[in-house]
Amino acid sequence: MVNVATARPTRADYYRVLADNLPPQALVVTSLGNASYLWAKLHDAPENFYFEDAMGLALPLSLGLAMAQPSRPVIVVEGDGGLLMHMGALATVGAVNPANLTVLIVQNGVHAASGGQALTNPALDLAQLARAAGIARSENIDKPEALAEKLRAGTAGNGAECLVLATEPDLDVVRPPVTFDPLLSKHRLQAAVGAPRYVHAVFGGGKLEGS
Amino acid sequence: MSGALAAQDDAHRPSDVLRTLKKLGFGAVVSVPDGWLGKILVRIEHEPSMRLVRATHEEEALAIACGLRLGGVRTALLVQNAGVLSMGAGMVLLAQRYQFPLLMLVSYRGTPDDPIFYHVPKGRVTEPVFRGLGLAYGCVDRHRPIGPQVEHAATFAEEASCPFALLLSREDIQW
Repeated sequence: MVNVATARPTRADYYRVLADNLPPQALVVTSLGNASYLWAKLHDAPENFYFEDAMGLALPLSLGLAMAQPSRPVIVVEGDGGLLMHMGALATVGAVNPANLTVLIVQNGVHAASGGQALTNPALDLAQLARAAGIARSENIDKPEALAEKLRAGTAGNGAECLVLATEPDLDVVRPPVTFDPLLSKHRLQAAVGAPRYVHAVFGGGKLEGS
Repeated sequence: MSGALAAQDDAHRPSDVLRTLKKLGFGAVVSVPDGWLGKILVRIEHEPSMRLVRATHEEEALAIACGLRLGGVRTALLVQNAGVLSMGAGMVLLAQRYQFPLLMLVSYRGTPDDPIFYHVPKGRVTEPVFRGLGLAYGCVDRHRPIGPQVEHAATFAEEASCPFALLLSREDIQW
């Protein structure tokens, strides 16, 4: 039941697979710490949305993003600690069940972003938990090749997918090559998806364009 | 619709809240229910132009709303004031730091008009906590029509690029 193998791949192993097999037009939301820093180093793009903090909120934000952009694949990288902090979000994802949402849970058994403190329960079967929450397509994975196969297979159109990645903890902080600017991260993604902008009231607006 | 019935509808403040959200192009509402919110949420659920998400926790609801807005959907939160008390970190670290314009319609429980013993503690601290969080907010004036007040709150959120909480009394929101 424990998704912690003896020789686990690293986050970088999985990220290289993700970068090489990213679906066209995919939007990627990454949680705090190395989840964002390393992804920025390997694949910085306007379609990324980087969390700096707000632990546990990457998953629910990605649910909203997937609902707003149903024609684009949305991939979220959340940690096991972040998931445990807002486990209810799994039930909401299961209830809404958007077929364009892929949830990647990095299960390393520790709070890596804060120095490697032990999790409350590092040995939960998170894929089983996700299935119980209504995400039928949930699976524990312990090899990057298996992630590659899943990404290449694409979404089957049967609701959200949750892949739990057994991962070696990465405690050394990766230095991202870009400045983490929250507004830049937000605005460039909104530009990338063509999100309607708000027209100020003084210019006769008061609404989003097109509404 | 007869004139008399139309006039009655105009005076029904929850109807006016819903009408205003539709008029302003709100495409989604994210909510954790409160006793006053139950029926308007069912109405929203049946609106073809709107999507209702029932979240499990208000901080989660806030993040879902941020994601919807990030993707281009104008989104409102409908929660109780206790829910805003419990979303502090997300409010500061996500909604305010990334400057998401969100309309928050908040049932204001525990005021002198709602003196239920278990609501009173949160009523006493609601506005001080909002000020501590730096959350822009206003209280509805029950003697003025509700629709324009909702519109002004939504406009403030957009013009200021931040969440804005409008505190509502029972007659404003309970269908």
